[in-house]
Amino acid sequence: MKNNKKENGHMRRHVERIKAVQKHLQSLTGVRRKKHHPLIHHVHKKYGISKKTLFYVKEYGPKANVPGTIVRESIKIMLFASIISSFGGLSLEQIKMSFISIIPLIILLPALNDMIGDYGIIISSRFSTMLHEGVAYSRWWRIPELRRLFFQVFILSLITAAIGSSIALATSWVSGYAVNGALVYKIFFISMLDTVVLVSVLFLVSVFAGIYFFRKEEDPNNFLIPITTSLADFGNMIILSLLVILLF
Amino acid sequence: MKLFDRGFRDMFLSQIVSLIGGLAAGIILAIYTDNIFLIPGIFIILPGFLEMRGNISGSFASRLSSGLFLGVIDPKRTDTKLVRGNVVASFFLAVAVSLSLGLLAFFFNWFVFGIFMLEIVLLPVVAAVIANLIEVPLTLFATFYLFRKGHDPNNIMGPFITSTGDITSIVSLLLAMVAMVGFI
Repeated sequence: MKNNKKENGHMRRHVERIKAVQKHLQSLTGVRRKKHHPLIHHVHKKYGISKKTLFYVKEYGPKANVPGTIVRESIKIMLFASIISSFGGLSLEQIKMSFISIIPLIILLPALNDMIGDYGIIISSRFSTMLHEGVAYSRWWRIPELRRLFFQVFILSLITAAIGSSIALATSWVSGYAVNGALVYKIFFISMLDTVVLVSVLFLVSVFAGIYFFRKEEDPNNFLIPITTSLADFGNMIILSLLVILLF
Repeated sequence: MKLFDRGFRDMFLSQIVSLIGGLAAGIILAIYTDNIFLIPGIFIILPGFLEMRGNISGSFASRLSSGLFLGVIDPKRTDTKLVRGNVVASFFLAVAVSLSLGLLAFFFNWFVFGIFMLEIVLLPVVAAVIANLIEVPLTLFATFYLFRKGHDPNNIMGPFITSTGDITSIVSLLLAMVAMVGFI
C-alpha cells in the first residue's frame, strides 16, 4: 500500500516533469531567434536536454518558417560564393587560349574543383557537427578528432590528385593528344601543389569561420560550405592560371 | 591516432566516385568546348553555376544529416514540414543565385565587351531549374538512404553531390542552350 502510494507519487512527478519540459519547449519555439535566449540554457540545465537539440529546435522548430530561415541565412553567402567563383573564372578567361589547348587540364578542371570543394565540404560539415555536439569549442588544435580529420584529408587529397592526373593524362593520350614526360611531370606537379595548398587553407578557414559563426549562434552548416567551396573554386582557378602561365 | 578507419574508407570511396564524376564532366566539357565557349560570358557563369549547385545541395544534405543525427528528422519520413521547407528553400536559392549570375554576365558583356545579349540572363535560370529538378530529389533520397544504412552522410554526400552536380550542371546548361536556341 505504502509502496503503491510512493510509486504513484513518483509517476505523478514524472508526468509533471514531462509536461514542464513540453511547456518549456513550446515557449522556446516562440522565441525570436536573434539571440541565444536564456531559456535554452535554463532548459538545458534543468532538464538535461542537449544544447544541440535545443539549438536545432530554435532554428527549425514547429513554429519556424523553415524556407525563410534557410533563405535568410544562406542567400547572402551563396551570392557571395557564386560571384567569387565567377571572378575566378575571369582569371581563366585571360589565359583561355593556352588553357583550352591543354586537354588534360580541361578534363582535370571539374575534377580538381570537385575534389578540393569536397574536402572543403567534408571538413566544414564534420567540424559543424563537432561544434553542434560540443566537441570542438576552445583549443581546437588539441582536439584529436580534428587532427585526425586533417591528416586523413591531407593523405586522401594527395592520393586522389595522383589518380585524377593519371586518368586525365591517359584519356588525353587515348584520344590522340601528344603526351610526353615533361607534360606528365607538369600535370602531376600542378594537381599536387594545387591540392595541398588549398586543402591546408580550407582547413584553417573552416575552423576559424566555424567557431566564429557558432559563437554568433548561427548554424555553421549554412555558412561554411559556401565559403569553403567558393574559396576552393576561386583558389583553384587562380593557382591553375598562375601555374599554366609559369609552366606552359 | 588511427588514420585508416571506417571514416577514411568512406571518404576514399566517395572521392573515387567524385573523381569519376568530375572527370566525366571534364570529358563532356572537352568535347563541347567549342560550343560552350562560343557564348560570350559563359566563362563568367560556369564556375559560379557549378559552385551554386554544390553549395545548395551540400548545405541541404548537411542540414538533413544534422537533423537525422539529432533525431529531429525521422529517417523513414520524407514528407515532413522540415524536409519540405528545405526543398522549397533550395529551389528559391537556385533561381535567385542563377539570376544574379546571369545579370552579372549580362552587364559584364555589355560594359566590357559591348555585347547586348539578354538571353545570357535567362540561360542560368533555366539551367538551374532543370538541374534542381534532378539534383534535389537525388540528394534527399541518398542522404536518407545512407543514414538508414548506418553511414555518416557527412562523409559521403559532399563528394557525391559535387560529382553528380557537375555532370548535372553541365548537361543542364547544354539543355538550356538547346532550349533557348529553340525559343530565340
